[in-house]
Amino acid sequence: MSEPINADRGLTYPGNLGCPGCGASIAINHALKGLGEKTVLVIPASCFAIMAGPYPMTALKVPILHTAFATAAVTAAGVRAGLDMQGDNETTVVAWAGDGGTFDIGIQSLSGAAERNDDIIFVCYDNEAYMNTGVQRSSATPYGTRTTTTPGTGWKRTRKKNIMEIMAAHRIPYAATANIAFPDDFIRKFTKARETRGGTRFIHVFSSCPTGWGVASSLAIKIARLATRTNIFPLYEIENGTDWTLNMEGDLPVGDYLGLQGRFRHLSPEDLEQIQREVEANLALIQERVAATRVRRAHLKLEA
Amino acid sequence: MRQVLEGSHAISEAVRLAKVQVVAGYPITPQTHIIEAISQYCADGSLKARFIPVESEHSSMAAVVGAAATGVRTFTATSSHGLALMHEMLHWASAARLPIVMGEVNRALGPGWNIWTDQSDSLSQRDTGWIQLYCEDAQDALDTTLIAFRLAETVNLPAMVVIDAFYVSHTFEPVDVPDQETVDRFLPPLAPRFRIDVDHPQALYPMVGPAFFMEMRRSIQEGMEAAGPAFDAIAGEFESVFGRRYSAVETVGCEDADLVLVTTGSVTSTARIIIARQREQGKRVGLCKIKQFRPFPAEVIRAVLGPVPRIAVIDRNVSFGSGGIFAREIQSALCPLEKRPAVYSYIAGLGGRDITPETITEVLRLAEETPMPAAESGWVGLNPDVKP
Amino acid sequence: MIASLRPTLLFPVTRTSTEANRTGSWRFVRPVYRFKTAPCSAACPAGIDIPTVEMLASRGQLYDAWAHICRENPFPAVCGRVCFHPCENACNRAELDASIAINALERYIGDAGLMAHSPLAAPEVAPLQRRVAIVGAGPAGLAAGYFLTQLGIAAEIFESSEEPGGVLRWGIPSYRLPKSVLAAEIARIEKAGVGIHCGRAITPDALNELAARYDAVLVGAGLAATLRLNISGEASIVDGLAFLRDVQTGSAPVVSGEVAVIGGGNTAIDVARTLLRQGARPTIVYRRRRQDMPAFGHEIAAAEAEGVRIVELMAPVSVAADGDGVRLEVQPMTAAEVGSDGRVRAVPAKQPPQTLRFNRVFSGIGAEVAEPWHRPGDEADTIRLSHCVIRCAPHAMGYIGDPVTAENSVAHAIGSGKQAAIALHALFTGGPEAVLPAVERCRVGPGPALSLEIYLNGERSHRTSRMVTFADINTDYFSRAARCVIPALAPAAAAAGFQEAVTTLRPREALAEAARCFNCGICNDCDNCRIFCPEQTILVDAGGRRSVDLDYCKGCGICTVECPRCAMDMEEESA
Repeated sequence: MSEPINADRGLTYPGNLGCPGCGASIAINHALKGLGEKTVLVIPASCFAIMAGPYPMTALKVPILHTAFATAAVTAAGVRAGLDMQGDNETTVVAWAGDGGTFDIGIQSLSGAAERNDDIIFVCYDNEAYMNTGVQRSSATPYGTRTTTTPGTGWKRTRKKNIMEIMAAHRIPYAATANIAFPDDFIRKFTKARETRGGTRFIHVFSSCPTGWGVASSLAIKIARLATRTNIFPLYEIENGTDWTLNMEGDLPVGDYLGLQGRFRHLSPEDLEQIQREVEANLALIQERVAATRVRRAHLKLEA
Repeated sequence: MRQVLEGSHAISEAVRLAKVQVVAGYPITPQTHIIEAISQYCADGSLKARFIPVESEHSSMAAVVGAAATGVRTFTATSSHGLALMHEMLHWASAARLPIVMGEVNRALGPGWNIWTDQSDSLSQRDTGWIQLYCEDAQDALDTTLIAFRLAETVNLPAMVVIDAFYVSHTFEPVDVPDQETVDRFLPPLAPRFRIDVDHPQALYPMVGPAFFMEMRRSIQEGMEAAGPAFDAIAGEFESVFGRRYSAVETVGCEDADLVLVTTGSVTSTARIIIARQREQGKRVGLCKIKQFRPFPAEVIRAVLGPVPRIAVIDRNVSFGSGGIFAREIQSALCPLEKRPAVYSYIAGLGGRDITPETITEVLRLAEETPMPAAESGWVGLNPDVKP
Repeated sequence: MIASLRPTLLFPVTRTSTEANRTGSWRFVRPVYRFKTAPCSAACPAGIDIPTVEMLASRGQLYDAWAHICRENPFPAVCGRVCFHPCENACNRAELDASIAINALERYIGDAGLMAHSPLAAPEVAPLQRRVAIVGAGPAGLAAGYFLTQLGIAAEIFESSEEPGGVLRWGIPSYRLPKSVLAAEIARIEKAGVGIHCGRAITPDALNELAARYDAVLVGAGLAATLRLNISGEASIVDGLAFLRDVQTGSAPVVSGEVAVIGGGNTAIDVARTLLRQGARPTIVYRRRRQDMPAFGHEIAAAEAEGVRIVELMAPVSVAADGDGVRLEVQPMTAAEVGSDGRVRAVPAKQPPQTLRFNRVFSGIGAEVAEPWHRPGDEADTIRLSHCVIRCAPHAMGYIGDPVTAENSVAHAIGSGKQAAIALHALFTGGPEAVLPAVERCRVGPGPALSLEIYLNGERSHRTSRMVTFADINTDYFSRAARCVIPALAPAAAAAGFQEAVTTLRPREALAEAARCFNCGICNDCDNCRIFCPEQTILVDAGGRRSVDLDYCKGCGICTVECPRCAMDMEEESA
């Protein structure tokens, strides 16, 4: 064949250290399409801290500041402050953390930044456990999951923390869920987050982990798509903490998603039913808020 | 201009004069006055800086790490538990080679809760790669803060300016506050040797494997080794601009002394009077104040204390299972000498207990009268009525 | 001075990229772009590359779609009207919702080609300095002429009638195929360099003469003689084929009242519907069951909708003149076991014969060769292929079209002409031994459809013969969408005249319908492979072709799973 004319790899270099089929790799590719080259990434301890390249190599064409596990949001806030003080209001500062660095050890500094409404985008690429250390449970691990710290019959019996509600409670200007299997929606949300300046934006990214989930690497996207199509990971946006929009509604039972993964293989039909009920209740809550948003907007229009 | 300032505000003034650009802070007694004043400066515009009111000290240090990585001058302040909480980020800041300056007010760690002065907090961080400079009074605090920026930015290591809780932090003293123009002459704007730059994207602080790690740690050590001579040179320049002289180690009457008392921080001021009084009485005693704990000025210590027969060290700190930390460092520094002085180590004044003239006199007496120093540190000023 | 005290710095800051990590070394399986055969194109007797055609059409590239059809079939506007479209029965989309309306799209694209007066592409091969004579300007002969020209071989067609087209002109009524459409597509073939000589009836002597003057002769004289019913009074039955031809020339008598048409094939339907348009009330009399009728289902349905009656399980026994009309005696039949031909046989029922009365009775029961030499004998040196027969010596002589194809349809005739052209080209360039391998090589999928593009080593020659099944399709990328409704005149309006009964799609409908196509087995630039590759290893060249940067591909396989249309495979790394 002739020379490739489209060897465009966007803002990433090949050769990162992610596992084959890594969802986080796909997530960063999508994300940088929406963020552009005037971006600084702040990365705490996570798979991505390793993937982004061991010294002296980097896997990204944007600057990275690696930082300690608990500090993604506040380090990003510090970068923002430093850039602002030098008159650089153009560069977007993005914290890029895993679920541990967001839901668990990172939540204090995230909440602090969100409360201060620091002008950063915080991205949680959520693969639902501590994958870099070998699949230990986090507070993002869903009900029913086996991990190396919830093994055997001790599979996790508490639900996944609802990080979006936590972020919405901070009334930040923009929060959204995104899924690597829906690139258009994904890139649109990152673009919107970039353009929504002046406050904290939060994007919760569903990022499959074939290695940790007991799924063939080739199914990384399929499984991610199913997460949304089964409403386990609905795609929605929350503006100012109060205005909810649901981007799409799933049409499949949770078993279609859970059944493909080793981490859920032990679940009984009754367990699946319980998860199905939980998922439906969660979706109903989102729909209620979407409806309430519509009513409120209609009232505002009337008043105007 | 001479003003009456408490030690905390002397540091705050120095931060304003240093034209720091990003400050992060979290309240903790007895440090809080430092960041309160800086917040006020930011609010009234007398300091063009961003103040980030973070939710923990761990985040304070992370915030200034982030800001310093963009190439701006940064400052934070803390104390005690706050410093302990920062511990991880202290390592991060130094290995990141960021010239962050921090005000640190010595305070004991609980339990039980104790807000009073004690050096255990800062000395627990001795291996984190931070330059540590101890101050005796408010003027020292202001001047040392200015020197610390210059020093940190010269060797690309962070620096801690340490003052005693209350005895310095909350004590009002007359302070000569220099004018901005003079300070600008001494402390030029920061010229970062590296920074985050979207036009030249690089990753700062990625994973480093065994093939490179040791060399990087060696580079931090070299930075520390450079910090000694750099401090001397900067202090010299400071003297030429401001007329006040600072050194890593300050001595009073050590040349002819049979016994030298070693102190740090505000205790030194009390000791100066006792030493002067005893010398008037004809005793050949001297005083040695250690200002610079990291890098430890071992060579100066050998030169100054090597010829002295007896040395008494007052440590307002303890390394449990070892003893007074300054004493141990001094013993270690003197070790290469063929003929070594006898080093008497005393723990005193923990948790804010007053080190009175009597305490110091007692220490001098014990050192004089004890033929051979004990292996363990002696505890001075214990209350015999406090029993288990 | 103080600046000179600055230590050197060695700390973690990157100086280079991860491009140095050749992560391709991790891989034990690799993705490959491996285009496959779509079931529709394998089912198409003319071997049209349907998935590519629909892909181009869905992008609005109608000219490209048209040109792509013409590589395999010079009659898109004709076939878009008259083809029995087996492609649609094979369509994978039927398993999701409904098959693609491939035939209607072919017509839409074919008409676009006609309206644009687009010429057929010039041959891409050097002239071979060979000449071939073709007897008969029916679809097989015209197609053979066209494909020979495409292969650099001069072709001259000799036609006994005054107009070319064969069954397309004389057999298929105008309400199905307007003669202007046929004329335009034939004119285009002529313009492409095929000589067409009409009014040149060929006798056996003339055939020998042609054989001497040309490098080869192809006989494509079709089935011009109507089969006999072999019942008493047959003389009073009107030959349906002749009737259709007379209608075309305007010499047919006008028939009215109750008329019967005997037969169950397409000819019977055509005759009945033509009679209807003349004002008669036709009844089709068929000896087997309705579901056994060989006519196309949609034609039967259209005929009934227009008012044609069908009487099944009635075998004609005799015919006799009866005053102004005809008396038709029929034996009621009953379905029996499956016969040797795989069809359910009909045997006389235990009922007495009945007598039906009609103004006229027509036959529509199929045809045979008009002259014995119109079909091949059993000479030696004869290569019998799926769609044609080639005799290599003493003169190269081939037989094409209905007399030699197992199924008789326009599409098969086109496939026959193509196969003969390829066989002759192979014969001329490689001798008799080259013929079979050449034909074998250009099969579409498992065959028997052939592709000229494959023969010419075009893009399609790189596709594997593996046929894409519905299970191969990633249906996550396809939501159910209604198949277009093919517009047609109301049956009553259609039956009122010879206006075309079926009309064409509107542009928006056509685009939407083409977009429903899965594009089985080919790349349609959806870019999923590139979008989802975690390592960004998919490269695209100037021609839009994709390749995998194997230096970095970790072999995860996402590209292959997320390819909606099975254009990629994973294969094991060789050690």
